[in-house]
Amino acid sequence: MEELQDASIHHMTAKVIAAIKNTKCYEPIYEELQRLVASPSVDKNDMRNTLEDAIKAAGLETEIRNMIYNLVRSRLEKLDVSDTRQTSTSKATQSDPLGYLKRAGVLWDRRVRKSLNAMCGELKVPLHGQPRISADREDFVAKWNELSNYNMDLSNYRPVYAPKDLLEVLLSLKGPARTTESTDQIPQWEFSHIALPVKNLFELRTHYADLLRSDHYTVPDQCQRILDSRHAPMCQQYLKKGCTPAPYRGALWASVLDSKLHDYDIEYWQKLRNVVWTTDHIVDKLVFKDIQLTASNDDQYFVFEDVLYQVLLCFSRDTDIANCVDYEQFPVKGKTYEGPPSGVVPFHGICMFAAPFCYLYDSPVCLYYTFRAFYIRYCHRLTTINTHPQGIVSLCLLFEKLLQTYEPQLWSHFRELQIQPLRVVFKWLMRGFSGHLPPDQLLVLWDLILGFDSLEILPLFAIIILSFRKESIMQVASLDSIEAILADLSSIKVLPLVQLALSRD
Amino acid sequence: MFGHVRVYSGGGGGGGGGDAAVCCTPEWTPSWRIASLQPTIEQSVAIMYGRLPGAGNANNGGAGANQAHDRIKIGFCTDLDKSVLVNNFEKRGWHQVNGDDDWHFYWAGVQTCRNIFSVDSGYRMHDNQMINHFPNHYELSRKDLLVKNIKRYRKDLERDGNPLAEKTESNNSSGTRYVYLDFVPTTFVLPADYNMFVEEYRKFPLSTWIMKPCGKSQGAGIFLINKLSKLKKWSREAKGPFHPQIAKESYVISRYIDNPLLIGGKKFDLRLYVLVASFRPLKAYLFKQGFCRFCTVKYDTSVTELDNMYVHLTNVSVQKHGGEYNTLHGGKWSVQNLALYLEGTRGKEVTDRLFGAISWLIVHSLRAVAPVMASDRHCFECYGYDIIIDNALKPWLVEVNASPSLTSTTVNDRILKYKLIDNILSVVLPPDGVPDVRWNKVPSADALGNFELLIDEELAAQDEAQNSSNNSHAKSSKLNSRWK
Repeated sequence: MEELQDASIHHMTAKVIAAIKNTKCYEPIYEELQRLVASPSVDKNDMRNTLEDAIKAAGLETEIRNMIYNLVRSRLEKLDVSDTRQTSTSKATQSDPLGYLKRAGVLWDRRVRKSLNAMCGELKVPLHGQPRISADREDFVAKWNELSNYNMDLSNYRPVYAPKDLLEVLLSLKGPARTTESTDQIPQWEFSHIALPVKNLFELRTHYADLLRSDHYTVPDQCQRILDSRHAPMCQQYLKKGCTPAPYRGALWASVLDSKLHDYDIEYWQKLRNVVWTTDHIVDKLVFKDIQLTASNDDQYFVFEDVLYQVLLCFSRDTDIANCVDYEQFPVKGKTYEGPPSGVVPFHGICMFAAPFCYLYDSPVCLYYTFRAFYIRYCHRLTTINTHPQGIVSLCLLFEKLLQTYEPQLWSHFRELQIQPLRVVFKWLMRGFSGHLPPDQLLVLWDLILGFDSLEILPLFAIIILSFRKESIMQVASLDSIEAILADLSSIKVLPLVQLALSRD
Repeated sequence: MFGHVRVYSGGGGGGGGGDAAVCCTPEWTPSWRIASLQPTIEQSVAIMYGRLPGAGNANNGGAGANQAHDRIKIGFCTDLDKSVLVNNFEKRGWHQVNGDDDWHFYWAGVQTCRNIFSVDSGYRMHDNQMINHFPNHYELSRKDLLVKNIKRYRKDLERDGNPLAEKTESNNSSGTRYVYLDFVPTTFVLPADYNMFVEEYRKFPLSTWIMKPCGKSQGAGIFLINKLSKLKKWSREAKGPFHPQIAKESYVISRYIDNPLLIGGKKFDLRLYVLVASFRPLKAYLFKQGFCRFCTVKYDTSVTELDNMYVHLTNVSVQKHGGEYNTLHGGKWSVQNLALYLEGTRGKEVTDRLFGAISWLIVHSLRAVAPVMASDRHCFECYGYDIIIDNALKPWLVEVNASPSLTSTTVNDRILKYKLIDNILSVVLPPDGVPDVRWNKVPSADALGNFELLIDEELAAQDEAQNSSNNSHAKSSKLNSRWK
């Protein structure tokens, strides 16, 4: 047994070391280590102990710990999945009960890219972009800090897709059961038949148990001390309270998301910016269009319009994103289409994922890396069809099951009206409530996403709002009226409502 | 340096004291007390419809109150046909009357107000009437008089040896400036103070100045000057035969705040609503839902942009004509969002200090005019304070408007202004909703709505008396900086 454990630790260590070597921070840390080895404090006769002490004294230990923590959290998990996937793809894909879902994911991604390609064809612009002509480049560079004044004709550009397009696809998902069972056994307007495991309220209560713990010993400088310790897990734990002081939020999020700035990050940002300056890409137009349609008209975010242009333009050129996001893989015949460099096709409202970060960071670079990390960890799951337990399909399913179980009255009300309940809340889920909750409350909700490392708070919170406005909803009988009741969330306070929902019997 | 402000204001630590002052039981007349403790059906109906004392008991509230339940509706009158006003009045069951009829509540324009209070009109208001302006509000709202009053206030304090009037060496000139009362940009009245202006100008030859006509509002007639020759040229032309109106008008010229705080690269100013229920004793409230007004164009101090007023002026009436004006948000961003942004990016301490300094600025601008204001008990007034924040997070008072716009530019704007009027009414009216000059003007905590108490000298004096008898620290005033 012990041998086995030993072996598994060695196996793990080997994987971690291999992963570390592939990260950007490996080289600076290695150099720092070399410097330490050569320093007088390290004694070659007692190399092990003195080097360890030196590493601790230089604060390198915390950095390495955080690095391993984040690696184990994200990349290794992904490696494991792909390991098992490789073995399973050799088997017949038909036997995978979720095969149809994965297939749908690949098809959705293809459809989105195909639309982008079609748009390029229609407008006669190359998908790979083209060098900016020098006059345009000069104009663009000169207006980099005020891109709202950069003029271009966007009348022919439309968002590639909007939340309701994805919703329609989700609602039309057909499981393999469909073909054999008689169709009237499965209602047309729900999709609870999908065989993905989701938590029930009891399990959610366990998951969010820390939210109900009332610790009254909050020391005023506790937050600062946690930040000083630089331990990512401690920062994450602090966010679970749901009452993060605004001045510390930016640093805490960066710590949890491992997005603190390094020199190479700044260089990389400048590189991305130069690519934007020199090449003209169709996604630029889509980014401009999206910001103009959403953030620029939003009274919470319009002041940050120019920052958002910079961030999202660089985002579109960032090839690291394509490497970090794990897309659903399933063998599907047919043509494949290329996407933008980042692999992310802008959709209607994508800038709302970045907008809340404007309240956290003054500098676009800091904003960029934390937003990017948040996108890679969470947001992309909301716009792709995937089998991940936090993917949009699972979240929708969780929403439906919670509504059925805990608000049966509302459920049957929706059913009588022949309204899919999901229609009412889907835009909240897909945008993570950004643009729907006022910023101060939205940031609390996102604190909880990061603190509990889960998007499951989104469907839970959607249920909470429906439940909170139940009486009004019960009195109306049309989708429009229900949407009108739910349109204004400015009076909603996140923390007390979530706590109430989790604590009541 | 702002840290010291607290010492005098009792701001941070005094918050609790402020609450206590709001809640402490005021000296109700017996009738008020009875009415509030033992509501009968008749009284409830009376409250619903409004109550007026009978003819014979105007001087004796105590005896009269019991007979005072004639179901007389409250008549309102308004010069402004704004829905945010009329909807609020009608919601309270008031009915509209003409100015010649017997009205109880008048939302008047400044001209009407002047007529009502003029000696010639011979109009005498009775105890159950209320009007939304003080007769000489211009002491605060006219740019030249505001500056004159503040200058006098500072001199008076200085003469009395008040620590508030402490001065320090100015860091960029040979002159001195006030440590705590330096909240208006250096300003001169033209043509009267022309020589003083030139003297000041010579000290900072590279500075930019802003010229504003004293009596106009909404950005009319404003221009920037960065060369003395331009001013001379203007003054020559003004004396010429083609501009007789300019010659009559006086202007103020103020040091232009050329280092404003920029957010998203854009300049903005704050519009805050301040309600004054009384000047002597001073009772003032700050509406928590102010907003920032953004310029549509990037801030740029280059000379070529000096004449582009879209860059410099944040007035909605100016910005509306810019090509980039957005009708969905109207360039308005809530003060709550400003606070969230500043706390997130600059820290809590500086943010609190900024908002504390803003409350401080408002209170002292009001104190500066209080001695000259005709503090008529029939009057209250809601002022629109325009404040610019510089990049060191220091607020500067730009001007005060006695008739802030009640036009709604966006849906949210409408909601905000509706709430503003609703809250104003509930603060200035006694608990039973009938205008009454004999009421002590101490609204309950509930009645405040989105207003927070800035200062109530009467309650502060009571507190002080109480505190000194308890042998504890006396506080000179109450300032509150809770904005959320």
